[in-house]
Amino acid sequence: MSAGIVDIAAAKPGRTIDNDHFASIGLTDEWIRRRSGIGARSWLPDETPLAEVAAEACAPVVTRMDASSSIDALILVSTSVRQRIPGIAQKVAQLAGLRPSVLTFDMNAACCGFVYGLVTGLSLCEAGQARSVLVCSVEAMSRLVDRTDRQTACLFGDGSAAVLLEDREEFAGFCQVAGCDGSQEGLMRETDAGGIHLDGIQVYDRAVRRMSESAQYLFDHGPAPTVVIGHQANSRILEQVRRFTGHLGVPFVNRIESSGNTSSASIPLAFAAELDAGSLPAAGRLGAVAYGAGEAWGGVSVDYRVPRVTAP
Amino acid sequence: MSDIESRIADTMLAKLREYDPSLGPDDLTRPIADLDLDSLDLVELHQRLERELQVKGDLKETAGFAFLDDFSAYFMKLASRG
Repeated sequence: MSAGIVDIAAAKPGRTIDNDHFASIGLTDEWIRRRSGIGARSWLPDETPLAEVAAEACAPVVTRMDASSSIDALILVSTSVRQRIPGIAQKVAQLAGLRPSVLTFDMNAACCGFVYGLVTGLSLCEAGQARSVLVCSVEAMSRLVDRTDRQTACLFGDGSAAVLLEDREEFAGFCQVAGCDGSQEGLMRETDAGGIHLDGIQVYDRAVRRMSESAQYLFDHGPAPTVVIGHQANSRILEQVRRFTGHLGVPFVNRIESSGNTSSASIPLAFAAELDAGSLPAAGRLGAVAYGAGEAWGGVSVDYRVPRVTAP
Repeated sequence: MSDIESRIADTMLAKLREYDPSLGPDDLTRPIADLDLDSLDLVELHQRLERELQVKGDLKETAGFAFLDDFSAYFMKLASRG
């Protein structure tokens, strides 16, 4: 058997911040939209624990599970968890109602985290080490950015989404590609003073190349995806990737307008939104490609059959 | 105009017309600073010309160009090297 995605839920419990919010730092709606495609984003209250937000995304999936099924692992993906000891995966498992005998751990691969989490979860399923795996991304990027920085403050948003993975006869095997280049760590990094440094030109160039190449790889190896979702970093990046992957002939998702860049949560949030809107069929093959700080990049193609969706 | 020159001009004009469909070939000679292009537009143009001509350019070099003619000359040179 091969593993695929069988359920998905997402949560954006924060308040909506529209572009007018940034007038105080001299940014207009027109300027932000032209440079990023972003019209609004959700920001969590500073005091809300990320574990609670992640559990809100996981809970519907846990509730919908067949009584005979069992979640054997939870991979909690985040780049914005500030707490090191302990991580939050165990708290999320408790709050989401998972049983105690479950493998749980935190994972951080910046904006590429969901792709890496998905590959890890699918591998656990296909190796027979877990019957079902929950992969949950949760991000509060609003807590990492300098909210007075004209270059980055308007780009990021918060949210969480979780997918459930299971082995099923109907699924074809997943396909993955991944890579990293530590020499490029300076392109995107948290600064000592607080905030995120972003080398916009280099990041744009490298993100387009890496995500386009990753998408091409997924089509050249294994069953062709029926939809491609790139990390929702910036509409300008997404539209250039769409242009360079147009020959692949499948829908390419750009949902950044209402979410902003939610780092590792952006792909599952966009996937949930597309399914909920009926823009994608309930069954198909997802091609997810991402590029992020580190630098880390990758892609994974995976079958899905998702009869129910919880979307914000 | 050679085939390569023509493909470069078409790619540049398509980029310009994303913001102003009324622009024409004469506008390709204007300074970049006078056109409604930002820094990401120049990276986009660089990447599209690379794809169109199947060559690899140096982003650090093209980022400093003041005229679209500079792009044209640069990519002509790359394409002529094969």
